[in-house]
Amino acid sequence: MIRPVRFFPDPVLAGRCTAVGEIDDAALALGRDLLDTMRGSSHSVGVAAPQIGVARRAFCVDVSGHPKARSCHGEVVLFDPVVVERAGAHVGREGCMSVPDLTGDVLRAATIVVRGLGLDGEERTIEADAFEARAVQHELDHLDGLLFLDRVVAADRLYRRRVYR
Amino acid sequence: MPHVAVTAVGVDRPGIVAAVTGVLLDHGGNLEDTAMTRLGGHFAMVLVVEVPGAEDAAGLEQALAAGTADLGLTVTVRPIGEVAEVAETGSPWAVTVHGADQPGIVHRVATTLAGHGANIVDLSTRRLTTGAGTGYVVLLEVLLPTGVDEGAVEADLDRLAADLGVEVHLRADEADVL
Repeated sequence: MIRPVRFFPDPVLAGRCTAVGEIDDAALALGRDLLDTMRGSSHSVGVAAPQIGVARRAFCVDVSGHPKARSCHGEVVLFDPVVVERAGAHVGREGCMSVPDLTGDVLRAATIVVRGLGLDGEERTIEADAFEARAVQHELDHLDGLLFLDRVVAADRLYRRRVYR
Repeated sequence: MPHVAVTAVGVDRPGIVAAVTGVLLDHGGNLEDTAMTRLGGHFAMVLVVEVPGAEDAAGLEQALAAGTADLGLTVTVRPIGEVAEVAETGSPWAVTVHGADQPGIVHRVATTLAGHGANIVDLSTRRLTTGAGTGYVVLLEVLLPTGVDEGAVEADLDRLAADLGVEVHLRADEADVL
């Protein structure tokens, strides 16, 4: 089910999310809602649970077809993700569905390894680089109540979002 | 509630932002979009402020001048009309210019861009002196109208760069929405 996206400054976006734990029916429903909401929004390459009003540690990403993507795992849902490794650094301009009017330049690790539970309840490890790594880190931040606004590299690197044709 | 445009400029020192915003707050003002930065040893503030209907710009300007007298700021307050939020159209591009300083760089770059209907939405410049002379750096964000040939804009900028003896670069500036 496509769920309405929560917008800044909704407090659900500012809190630390709690663990999902067991992948039960409620967790699976959350995973499906994350995917449906991502698929339902043309610009979206990822949605984190707090963005649909659920303060649990879960997100989905899908960078398929994105011109800046190198690694691409297709549609990924991860519950209770933990960062195993991160390396390198890269600045890129990000926007967020929950912060519709602004974009900002954000420093992210160039590569990231993250481990969590998938929709099948099995542990899976994602090794991502380039745009997929950025997307994963952006969604991970949501689980800790962080928006890209918290990571903009300098005061003059926050921008009014331009157009979307 | 109506809006005013506030500007304040003065020799940079600690306390300028605190003093100016304190007076605005005392008068019921709520800051909206603002830009405040240090320019060549001066601190410059431009603020759009929502104010209660009873506040008049001239009175607020006097209050700001009085409230910041010890900082030696030049302060202006002017009423500004409401501007309807319009969806911007076009695509975002970044333009960077750098080279030996000379009068007219900004004007000529801006004129070239305006000739293509490009709208400058942000511009900052820095002048710096090094062992090799005095250089000038210009950073612009522009919206190119939909349908404009970027190649033609770039060709015109390249011609201008050759004429001025500076480097000019144009690059797409899309953000990724995550």
